[in-house]
Amino acid sequence: MAKERRGLIKALDDRFHFMDSFEKDVLDHPVPPRLNFMYCFGGITFFLFCLLCVTGLLMAAYYVPSPEAAYASVEYLQFEVTLGSIIRGLHHWSANLMILFICLHMIRIVITGSYKNPMEFHWISGVFLFLLTLGFGFTGYLLPWNMRAYWASKVGIGMATTIPKAGEFIGNVVRGGEPLGALTLSRFFATHVIYLPILTLAFLGLHFWMIRKTGVAEPL
Amino acid sequence: MEHNSGRRRLCKAGLAGIGTIFGLSALGGGAVFLGSPALTNKSEGQWIEVGALDDFEEDTYNQVVLEFSIQDGWAYATQKMLAYVRRRGEKLYALSAVCTHLGCNVRWEEERGEFVCPCHAGVYDKEGKNIAGPPPHPLPKLPVKVEDGTVLVYNKQEEGGESHG
Repeated sequence: MAKERRGLIKALDDRFHFMDSFEKDVLDHPVPPRLNFMYCFGGITFFLFCLLCVTGLLMAAYYVPSPEAAYASVEYLQFEVTLGSIIRGLHHWSANLMILFICLHMIRIVITGSYKNPMEFHWISGVFLFLLTLGFGFTGYLLPWNMRAYWASKVGIGMATTIPKAGEFIGNVVRGGEPLGALTLSRFFATHVIYLPILTLAFLGLHFWMIRKTGVAEPL
Repeated sequence: MEHNSGRRRLCKAGLAGIGTIFGLSALGGGAVFLGSPALTNKSEGQWIEVGALDDFEEDTYNQVVLEFSIQDGWAYATQKMLAYVRRRGEKLYALSAVCTHLGCNVRWEEERGEFVCPCHAGVYDKEGKNIAGPPPHPLPKLPVKVEDGTVLVYNKQEEGGESHG
Protein backbone atom coordinates (compact mmCIF):
# COMPACT_ATOMS: atom_id res chain seq x y z
CA MET A 1 0.00 0.00 0.00
CA ALA A 2 3.06 2.23 0.07
CA LYS A 3 1.97 4.65 -2.61
CA GLU A 4 3.80 7.65 -3.99
CA ARG A 5 2.34 10.75 -2.38
CA ARG A 6 2.82 14.32 -3.43
CA GLY A 7 2.10 17.86 -2.39
CA LEU A 8 0.10 18.83 0.64
CA ILE A 9 -0.95 15.24 1.49
CA LYS A 10 2.72 14.20 1.52
CA ALA A 11 3.75 17.20 3.59
CA LEU A 12 1.06 16.47 6.16
CA ASP A 13 1.73 12.73 6.15
CA ASP A 14 5.48 13.21 6.61
CA ARG A 15 4.66 15.04 9.81
CA PHE A 16 1.62 13.23 11.18
CA HIS A 17 1.77 9.74 9.58
CA PHE A 18 -1.94 9.21 9.20
CA MET A 19 -2.33 8.09 5.56
CA ASP A 20 -1.37 4.43 6.03
CA SER A 21 -3.84 3.86 8.84
CA PHE A 22 -6.46 5.96 7.01
CA GLU A 23 -6.14 3.78 3.92
CA LYS A 24 -6.01 0.54 5.87
CA ASP A 25 -8.76 1.23 8.41
CA VAL A 26 -11.11 3.47 6.49
CA LEU A 27 -10.77 3.00 2.74
CA ASP A 28 -9.74 -0.65 2.66
CA HIS A 29 -11.28 -1.90 5.83
CA PRO A 30 -12.05 -5.62 5.49
CA VAL A 31 -15.56 -6.80 6.29
CA PRO A 32 -16.55 -10.42 6.90
CA PRO A 33 -17.61 -12.40 3.81
CA ARG A 34 -21.26 -13.22 3.11
CA LEU A 35 -22.65 -9.96 4.50
CA ASN A 36 -26.03 -9.12 2.99
CA PHE A 37 -28.16 -6.00 2.62
CA MET A 38 -29.45 -6.30 6.18
CA TYR A 39 -26.02 -5.23 7.36
CA CYS A 40 -26.60 -1.87 5.69
CA PHE A 41 -29.45 -0.70 7.93
CA GLY A 42 -27.13 0.95 10.42
CA GLY A 43 -25.21 2.69 7.67
CA ILE A 44 -28.44 3.85 6.04
CA THR A 45 -29.56 5.23 9.40
CA PHE A 46 -26.29 7.16 9.68
CA PHE A 47 -26.67 8.44 6.11
CA LEU A 48 -30.18 9.70 6.96
CA PHE A 49 -28.76 11.33 10.10
CA CYS A 50 -26.19 13.16 7.95
CA LEU A 51 -28.96 14.26 5.58
CA LEU A 52 -30.96 15.54 8.55
CA CYS A 53 -27.93 17.47 9.82
CA VAL A 54 -27.34 19.15 6.47
CA THR A 55 -30.98 20.04 5.77
CA GLY A 56 -31.39 21.13 9.39
CA LEU A 57 -28.36 23.40 9.21
CA LEU A 58 -29.80 24.95 6.06
CA MET A 59 -33.24 25.50 7.55
CA ALA A 60 -31.71 27.07 10.66
CA ALA A 61 -30.96 30.10 8.47
CA TYR A 62 -34.71 30.76 8.13
CA TYR A 63 -36.53 29.31 11.12
CA VAL A 64 -37.44 31.59 14.04
CA PRO A 65 -38.45 29.91 17.31
CA SER A 66 -41.04 32.34 18.64
CA PRO A 67 -44.84 31.96 18.79
CA GLU A 68 -45.35 35.04 16.61
CA ALA A 69 -42.84 34.11 13.95
CA ALA A 70 -42.45 30.33 13.89
CA TYR A 71 -45.35 29.48 11.59
CA ALA A 72 -44.77 32.46 9.30
CA SER A 73 -41.08 31.64 8.98
CA VAL A 74 -41.81 27.99 8.15
CA GLU A 75 -44.42 29.09 5.61
CA TYR A 76 -41.90 31.45 4.04
CA LEU A 77 -39.18 28.81 3.91
CA GLN A 78 -41.60 26.26 2.45
CA PHE A 79 -43.28 28.38 -0.22
CA GLU A 80 -41.09 31.40 -0.95
CA VAL A 81 -37.50 30.22 -0.66
CA THR A 82 -36.14 28.47 -3.75
CA LEU A 83 -35.83 24.70 -3.09
CA GLY A 84 -37.44 25.32 0.31
CA SER A 85 -40.07 22.63 -0.09
CA ILE A 86 -37.39 20.16 -1.17
CA ILE A 87 -35.05 20.89 1.73
CA ARG A 88 -37.89 20.72 4.26
CA GLY A 89 -39.33 17.67 2.55
CA LEU A 90 -35.95 15.91 2.76
CA HIS A 91 -35.81 16.72 6.46
CA HIS A 92 -39.35 15.43 6.99
CA TRP A 93 -38.90 12.18 5.09
CA SER A 94 -35.40 11.46 6.37
CA ALA A 95 -36.73 11.87 9.90
CA ASN A 96 -39.51 9.36 9.29
CA LEU A 97 -37.24 6.92 7.47
CA MET A 98 -34.59 7.20 10.18
CA ILE A 99 -37.02 5.78 12.76
CA LEU A 100 -37.92 2.99 10.34
CA PHE A 101 -34.31 2.06 9.63
CA ILE A 102 -33.37 2.14 13.31
CA CYS A 103 -36.13 -0.40 13.90
CA LEU A 104 -34.92 -2.57 11.02
CA HIS A 105 -31.32 -2.26 12.29
CA MET A 106 -32.37 -3.34 15.77
CA ILE A 107 -34.45 -6.24 14.45
CA ARG A 108 -31.45 -7.45 12.44
CA ILE A 109 -29.24 -7.24 15.53
CA VAL A 110 -31.73 -9.29 17.52
CA ILE A 111 -32.14 -11.91 14.78
CA THR A 112 -28.39 -12.41 14.33
CA GLY A 113 -27.78 -12.17 18.07
CA SER A 114 -25.24 -9.43 17.51
CA TYR A 115 -25.97 -7.84 20.89
CA LYS A 116 -24.16 -10.68 22.68
CA ASN A 117 -20.63 -10.70 24.09
CA PRO A 118 -18.45 -8.85 23.07
CA MET A 119 -21.02 -6.41 21.72
CA GLU A 120 -23.30 -5.66 24.66
CA PHE A 121 -22.10 -2.08 24.88
CA HIS A 122 -22.78 -1.55 21.19
CA TRP A 123 -26.38 -2.46 21.93
CA ILE A 124 -26.58 -0.21 24.97
CA SER A 125 -25.15 2.81 23.13
CA GLY A 126 -27.54 1.98 20.29
CA VAL A 127 -30.53 2.06 22.60
CA PHE A 128 -29.43 5.50 23.78
CA LEU A 129 -29.15 6.59 20.16
CA PHE A 130 -32.67 5.28 19.51
CA LEU A 131 -34.04 7.26 22.46
CA LEU A 132 -32.17 10.38 21.31
CA THR A 133 -33.73 9.96 17.87
CA LEU A 134 -37.20 9.77 19.42
CA GLY A 135 -36.28 12.95 21.31
CA PHE A 136 -35.41 14.60 17.99
CA GLY A 137 -38.76 13.52 16.61
CA PHE A 138 -40.73 14.80 19.59
CA THR A 139 -39.01 18.19 19.82
CA GLY A 140 -38.91 18.74 16.05
CA TYR A 141 -42.61 18.08 15.70
CA LEU A 142 -43.51 21.18 17.71
CA LEU A 143 -41.36 23.61 15.75
CA PRO A 144 -43.74 24.47 12.83
CA TRP A 145 -46.11 25.74 15.54
CA ASN A 146 -49.29 24.72 13.75
CA MET A 147 -52.34 22.99 15.25
CA ARG A 148 -50.97 19.51 14.75
CA ALA A 149 -47.64 20.47 16.34
CA TYR A 150 -49.28 22.17 19.29
CA TRP A 151 -51.76 19.42 20.08
CA ALA A 152 -49.26 16.61 19.53
CA SER A 153 -46.96 18.23 22.09
CA LYS A 154 -49.89 18.88 24.41
CA VAL A 155 -50.76 15.17 24.32
CA GLY A 156 -47.12 14.03 24.51
CA ILE A 157 -46.35 16.19 27.53
CA GLY A 158 -49.72 15.16 28.96
CA MET A 159 -48.51 11.55 29.00
CA ALA A 160 -45.48 12.57 31.04
CA THR A 161 -47.72 14.33 33.57
CA THR A 162 -49.56 11.08 34.31
CA ILE A 163 -46.47 9.79 36.15
CA PRO A 164 -47.53 9.54 39.80
CA LYS A 165 -46.28 12.27 42.15
CA ALA A 166 -43.57 13.75 39.90
CA GLY A 167 -45.69 14.01 36.72
CA GLU A 168 -46.90 17.58 37.15
CA PHE A 169 -43.38 18.79 37.92
CA ILE A 170 -41.88 16.96 34.93
CA GLY A 171 -44.53 18.51 32.70
CA ASN A 172 -43.65 21.96 33.99
CA VAL A 173 -39.95 21.37 33.36
CA VAL A 174 -40.60 20.20 29.79
CA ARG A 175 -42.99 23.09 29.04
CA GLY A 176 -40.97 25.67 30.95
CA GLY A 177 -43.89 26.45 33.27
CA GLU A 178 -47.60 25.92 33.04
CA PRO A 179 -48.53 27.17 29.58
CA LEU A 180 -47.43 25.42 26.42
CA GLY A 181 -46.11 28.55 24.76
CA ALA A 182 -43.14 30.75 24.07
CA LEU A 183 -40.81 29.09 26.57
CA THR A 184 -41.78 25.61 25.40
CA LEU A 185 -41.07 26.48 21.80
CA SER A 186 -37.64 27.92 22.45
CA ARG A 187 -36.54 25.09 24.74
CA PHE A 188 -37.78 22.50 22.24
CA PHE A 189 -35.84 24.35 19.55
CA ALA A 190 -32.65 24.45 21.62
CA THR A 191 -33.04 20.77 22.46
CA HIS A 192 -33.67 19.88 18.83
CA VAL A 193 -30.77 21.77 17.30
CA ILE A 194 -28.14 21.94 20.07
CA TYR A 195 -28.46 19.60 23.06
CA LEU A 196 -29.60 16.46 21.25
CA PRO A 197 -27.13 16.78 18.33
CA ILE A 198 -24.19 17.08 20.75
CA LEU A 199 -25.31 14.00 22.71
CA THR A 200 -26.02 12.09 19.52
CA LEU A 201 -22.60 12.83 18.05
CA ALA A 202 -20.96 11.62 21.26
CA PHE A 203 -22.92 8.35 21.26
CA LEU A 204 -22.40 7.89 17.52
CA GLY A 205 -18.66 8.27 17.99
CA LEU A 206 -18.74 5.64 20.70
CA HIS A 207 -20.96 3.34 18.63
CA PHE A 208 -18.63 3.52 15.60
CA TRP A 209 -15.43 3.30 17.62
CA MET A 210 -16.64 0.13 19.32
CA ILE A 211 -17.71 -1.54 16.07
CA ARG A 212 -14.23 -0.84 14.66
CA LYS A 213 -12.61 -2.37 17.74
CA THR A 214 -14.59 -5.62 17.73
CA GLY A 215 -15.40 -5.84 14.03
CA VAL A 216 -18.81 -6.59 12.54
CA ALA A 217 -20.41 -9.79 13.83
CA GLU A 218 -20.06 -12.66 11.37
CA PRO A 219 -23.27 -13.64 9.62
CA LEU A 220 -24.99 -16.80 10.81
CA MET B 1 -5.49 -10.08 -5.88
CA GLU B 2 -3.62 -9.47 -9.14
CA HIS B 3 -6.62 -10.21 -11.39
CA ASN B 4 -8.81 -7.97 -9.24
CA SER B 5 -6.96 -4.71 -9.42
CA GLY B 6 -8.59 -3.41 -12.60
CA ARG B 7 -12.04 -3.94 -11.19
CA ARG B 8 -11.00 -2.31 -7.93
CA ARG B 9 -9.77 0.74 -9.77
CA LEU B 10 -13.00 0.97 -11.75
CA CYS B 11 -15.09 0.72 -8.59
CA LYS B 12 -13.04 3.40 -6.88
CA ALA B 13 -13.21 5.73 -9.89
CA GLY B 14 -16.96 5.12 -10.21
CA LEU B 15 -17.56 5.83 -6.54
CA ALA B 16 -15.42 8.95 -6.69
CA GLY B 17 -17.32 10.17 -9.77
CA ILE B 18 -20.77 9.52 -8.31
CA GLY B 19 -19.68 11.03 -5.02
CA THR B 20 -18.44 14.15 -6.76
CA ILE B 21 -21.69 14.58 -8.71
CA PHE B 22 -23.83 14.06 -5.60
CA GLY B 23 -21.62 16.27 -3.51
CA LEU B 24 -21.64 19.11 -6.01
CA SER B 25 -25.44 18.93 -6.48
CA ALA B 26 -25.94 19.02 -2.72
CA LEU B 27 -23.58 21.96 -2.43
CA GLY B 28 -25.33 23.76 -5.31
CA GLY B 29 -28.77 23.07 -3.86
CA GLY B 30 -27.71 24.37 -0.47
CA ALA B 31 -26.23 27.49 -2.02
CA VAL B 32 -29.44 28.18 -3.98
CA PHE B 33 -31.54 27.60 -0.86
CA LEU B 34 -29.47 29.97 1.26
CA GLY B 35 -28.91 32.49 -1.51
CA SER B 36 -32.40 32.88 -2.93
CA PRO B 37 -33.51 35.79 -0.70
CA ALA B 38 -30.64 37.81 -2.16
CA LEU B 39 -32.67 37.91 -5.36
CA THR B 40 -36.25 37.78 -4.06
CA ASN B 41 -36.32 39.68 -0.77
CA LYS B 42 -36.59 43.15 -2.27
CA SER B 43 -39.39 45.67 -2.34
CA GLU B 44 -40.54 47.89 -5.17
CA GLY B 45 -40.02 51.63 -4.96
CA GLN B 46 -42.99 53.59 -3.59
CA TRP B 47 -44.15 57.21 -3.64
CA ILE B 48 -44.26 58.48 -0.07
CA GLU B 49 -46.21 61.55 1.07
CA VAL B 50 -43.99 63.95 2.99
CA GLY B 51 -46.23 66.96 3.60
CA ALA B 52 -48.04 69.91 2.00
CA LEU B 53 -46.19 71.94 -0.61
CA ASP B 54 -46.99 75.18 1.26
CA ASP B 55 -44.97 73.97 4.26
CA PHE B 56 -41.76 73.76 2.26
CA GLU B 57 -39.56 76.81 2.56
CA GLU B 58 -38.01 78.27 -0.52
CA ASP B 59 -34.32 77.82 -1.26
CA THR B 60 -33.34 75.71 1.68
CA TYR B 61 -33.21 72.02 2.35
CA ASN B 62 -36.22 70.74 4.25
CA GLN B 63 -35.53 67.53 6.12
CA VAL B 64 -38.24 64.90 5.57
CA VAL B 65 -38.68 61.35 6.85
CA LEU B 66 -40.03 58.82 4.38
CA GLU B 67 -41.95 56.19 6.30
CA PHE B 68 -43.13 53.10 4.49
CA SER B 69 -43.95 49.43 5.00
CA ILE B 70 -42.06 46.66 3.33
CA GLN B 71 -42.36 42.92 3.35
CA ASP B 72 -39.15 41.50 4.77
CA GLY B 73 -39.16 37.74 4.23
CA TRP B 74 -41.95 36.40 6.45
CA ALA B 75 -42.33 39.67 8.35
CA TYR B 76 -43.83 43.09 7.64
CA ALA B 77 -41.68 45.97 8.73
CA THR B 78 -41.86 49.75 8.80
CA GLN B 79 -38.82 51.49 7.47
CA LYS B 80 -37.74 55.06 7.75
CA MET B 81 -35.51 56.92 5.36
CA LEU B 82 -34.16 60.43 5.68
CA ALA B 83 -34.23 62.79 2.69
CA TYR B 84 -33.85 66.51 1.91
CA VAL B 85 -36.31 68.40 -0.27
CA ARG B 86 -35.50 71.78 -1.76
CA ARG B 87 -38.07 74.05 -3.35
CA ARG B 88 -37.43 76.65 -6.02
CA GLY B 89 -40.80 78.12 -6.89
CA GLU B 90 -42.89 75.26 -8.22
CA LYS B 91 -39.83 73.12 -8.87
CA LEU B 92 -38.75 70.53 -6.29
CA TYR B 93 -35.50 68.63 -5.82
CA ALA B 94 -34.97 65.74 -3.43
CA LEU B 95 -31.74 64.19 -2.22
CA SER B 96 -31.40 61.02 -0.23
CA ALA B 97 -29.61 61.66 3.06
CA VAL B 98 -27.88 58.28 2.90
CA CYS B 99 -24.14 58.85 2.66
CA THR B 100 -22.61 57.06 -0.31
CA HIS B 101 -19.62 56.03 1.76
CA LEU B 102 -21.10 53.58 4.30
CA GLY B 103 -24.73 54.55 4.63
CA CYS B 104 -24.94 56.92 7.61
CA ASN B 105 -27.41 59.83 7.43
CA VAL B 106 -25.85 63.12 6.41
CA ARG B 107 -26.86 66.44 8.02
CA TRP B 108 -27.58 69.70 6.17
CA GLU B 109 -25.61 72.58 7.67
CA GLU B 110 -27.26 75.79 6.57
CA GLU B 111 -24.48 78.22 7.55
CA ARG B 112 -21.80 76.15 5.75
CA GLY B 113 -24.12 75.36 2.87
CA GLU B 114 -22.92 71.78 2.93
CA PHE B 115 -24.06 68.30 3.81
CA VAL B 116 -21.83 66.71 6.46
CA CYS B 117 -21.69 63.07 7.38
CA PRO B 118 -21.17 62.55 11.13
CA CYS B 119 -19.55 59.12 10.75
CA HIS B 120 -16.39 59.81 8.73
CA ALA B 121 -16.60 63.52 8.00
CA GLY B 122 -17.69 63.20 4.39
CA VAL B 123 -18.76 66.53 2.88
CA TYR B 124 -21.17 67.22 0.01
CA ASP B 125 -21.86 70.61 -1.50
CA LYS B 126 -25.22 72.34 -1.95
CA GLU B 127 -26.01 70.21 -5.00
CA GLY B 128 -25.16 66.98 -3.20
CA LYS B 129 -21.81 66.57 -4.90
CA ASN B 130 -19.12 64.83 -2.86
CA ILE B 131 -16.36 67.38 -2.27
CA ALA B 132 -14.35 66.13 0.70
CA GLY B 133 -13.75 63.05 2.79
CA PRO B 134 -14.35 59.43 1.81
CA PRO B 135 -17.70 59.49 -0.11
CA PRO B 136 -17.14 58.04 -3.62
CA HIS B 137 -20.35 59.37 -5.23
CA PRO B 138 -22.74 62.32 -4.97
CA LEU B 139 -25.86 61.97 -2.80
CA PRO B 140 -28.51 60.00 -4.74
CA LYS B 141 -31.19 62.15 -6.33
CA LEU B 142 -34.71 61.00 -5.53
CA PRO B 143 -37.73 61.56 -7.80
CA VAL B 144 -40.18 64.03 -6.29
CA LYS B 145 -43.57 65.27 -7.42
CA VAL B 146 -46.58 67.31 -6.24
CA GLU B 147 -50.14 65.99 -6.34
CA ASP B 148 -53.02 68.18 -5.10
CA GLY B 149 -50.63 70.32 -3.08
CA THR B 150 -49.01 67.32 -1.42
CA VAL B 151 -45.35 66.52 -1.93
CA LEU B 152 -44.43 62.91 -2.69
CA VAL B 153 -40.92 61.49 -2.75
CA TYR B 154 -39.92 58.19 -4.32
CA ASN B 155 -37.96 55.99 -1.92
CA LYS B 156 -35.56 54.59 -4.51
CA GLN B 157 -33.06 56.30 -6.71
CA GLU B 158 -34.32 56.94 -10.24
CA GLU B 159 -33.72 54.06 -12.60
CA GLY B 160 -30.67 55.18 -14.54
CA GLY B 161 -31.19 58.59 -12.99
CA GLU B 162 -28.60 61.21 -13.89
CA SER B 163 -26.06 61.87 -11.19
CA HIS B 164 -25.27 65.33 -10.00
CA GLY B 165 -22.19 66.61 -11.62
